[in-house]
Amino acid sequence: MEIKIKNLKKYYNDKLVLKIEELHIEKRKITGIIGPNGAGKTTLLRIISGLDEDFSGRITYDNSTLNNNIYDNMTLVFQKPYLFRRSVYDNIAYPLKIRKKNKAEIDKRVSEMLNRLQIYNLKNEKAHLLSGGESQKVALARALIFKPKLVMLDEPTSNIDPESIKTIEKEIKNYNSNEKATIIIITHNLEQAKRLCDNTIYLENGRVNRINGFL
Amino acid sequence: MDYIINGIIEALKLLVSFNRELYEIIFLSVFVSSTATLISSIIFIPLGLYLGIKNFKGKKLFSRLLYTLMSIPSVVVGLLVAILLSRRGPLGFLELLYTPTAMIIAQSLLVTPLSLGLSYNLSKNRGKKIERVGITLGARGVKIIFLLIRELKIDLFINLVTVFSRAISEVGAVMIVGGNIKNRTRVITTSIAMFNSMGNYSTAIALGLVLLAISFIINSLIYSYHQEDY
Ligand SMILES: Nc1ncnc2c1ncn2[C@@H]1O[C@H](COP(=O)(O)OP(=O)(O)O)[C@@H](O)[C@H]1O
Ligand SMILES: [Mg+2]
Repeated sequence: MEIKIKNLKKYYNDKLVLKIEELHIEKRKITGIIGPNGAGKTTLLRIISGLDEDFSGRITYDNSTLNNNIYDNMTLVFQKPYLFRRSVYDNIAYPLKIRKKNKAEIDKRVSEMLNRLQIYNLKNEKAHLLSGGESQKVALARALIFKPKLVMLDEPTSNIDPESIKTIEKEIKNYNSNEKATIIIITHNLEQAKRLCDNTIYLENGRVNRINGFL
Repeated sequence: MDYIINGIIEALKLLVSFNRELYEIIFLSVFVSSTATLISSIIFIPLGLYLGIKNFKGKKLFSRLLYTLMSIPSVVVGLLVAILLSRRGPLGFLELLYTPTAMIIAQSLLVTPLSLGLSYNLSKNRGKKIERVGITLGARGVKIIFLLIRELKIDLFINLVTVFSRAISEVGAVMIVGGNIKNRTRVITTSIAMFNSMGNYSTAIALGLVLLAISFIINSLIYSYHQEDY
């Protein structure tokens, strides 16, 4: 999904936290957003994902404005993911259940996903009791299971173990190439940005400071 | 002191001998109050959840009004329903005054603000976060409400029990619209008041013990439900 942002301005109680004149996010690419704390990275993703509609400017998704079809085809994984009070399996199955998929298909897709993220052993655990790294993997699995065309990830690997980081990065790469999906990832880790991203955006004080070429 | 101890002994005798009048009173109490709880919950829990996550004009004022109504005195509700149902009242033709149905109506009205307020408050505090996740996964509208119910089910269950407790322990509303008629509209609280004023302490004590037992059972239920999830 191609995203075009024009004249975006976002205020929090009179304080301008985002001011982006023009920004394109390329379709089918992995775009990294980096920048210091408080730069406005999370705010930007919340706006693109449609969770925050209190802004001025224009955002288009494959040249159309936000509608239900787009909502159905994009997702955002929060920095601190909230998992439902049910099993890991049921968490990951949720997006398929509300899309009325049949049980056999759900079972097949969830099992595949559990294997890919190496959490099959957690299948029946209560999701809200998992550790940080495990939660991140479950949240990622739950977000990818319905094959969204636009995936936004807010620091998906901060504060987790190196093994989990590897698994998550691998899955992001795979998903991007297999599903031809557009991925936007906020990260603090420049090495990670180098490993994963086709494009990078440097955000500072709510403004796009540089695109590419600085890593 | 003797009459207290005798009262308790007599009370236990009444209970273990399955005294018919006593058990009819208990049954009617539980029936009226659980029906009222269900009626108020089916509509007003989902509505409360919805209003809690919704931003609308006058939300602050709405909260304040709701909190006021949550503590409305039961006699006031009883009076209101009695006026509506009295023979000359607008709903007099239904001939419902002094029937269990009238008691259910009065208690439903009494606990509705509580049902609404508790779920509203719960959703106002914890619903937004759940709603946001739901939206990112493709849920909208009624699916969000179902998600909230499932995620908050422990708290909602506790609210339900709180509502039931309020209903079964109130006297004013059922006394006014039910009239405490023998074999017809007598419930635990109105009977305790009556038996006490008649000097029939043993029956009053027996009923008091039952009310305590009900609240004990309910609280144990909440406790075990809570344990199960953590
Ligand atoms: N809900 C909010 N209310 C007021 N200010 C906020 C809110 N959320 C974020 N901000 C402010 O907006 C700015 C950008 O925040 P954020 O997008 O979270 O930054 P980043 O994700 O880059 O660390 C910060 O100055 C932050 O304090
Ligand atoms: Mg952030």
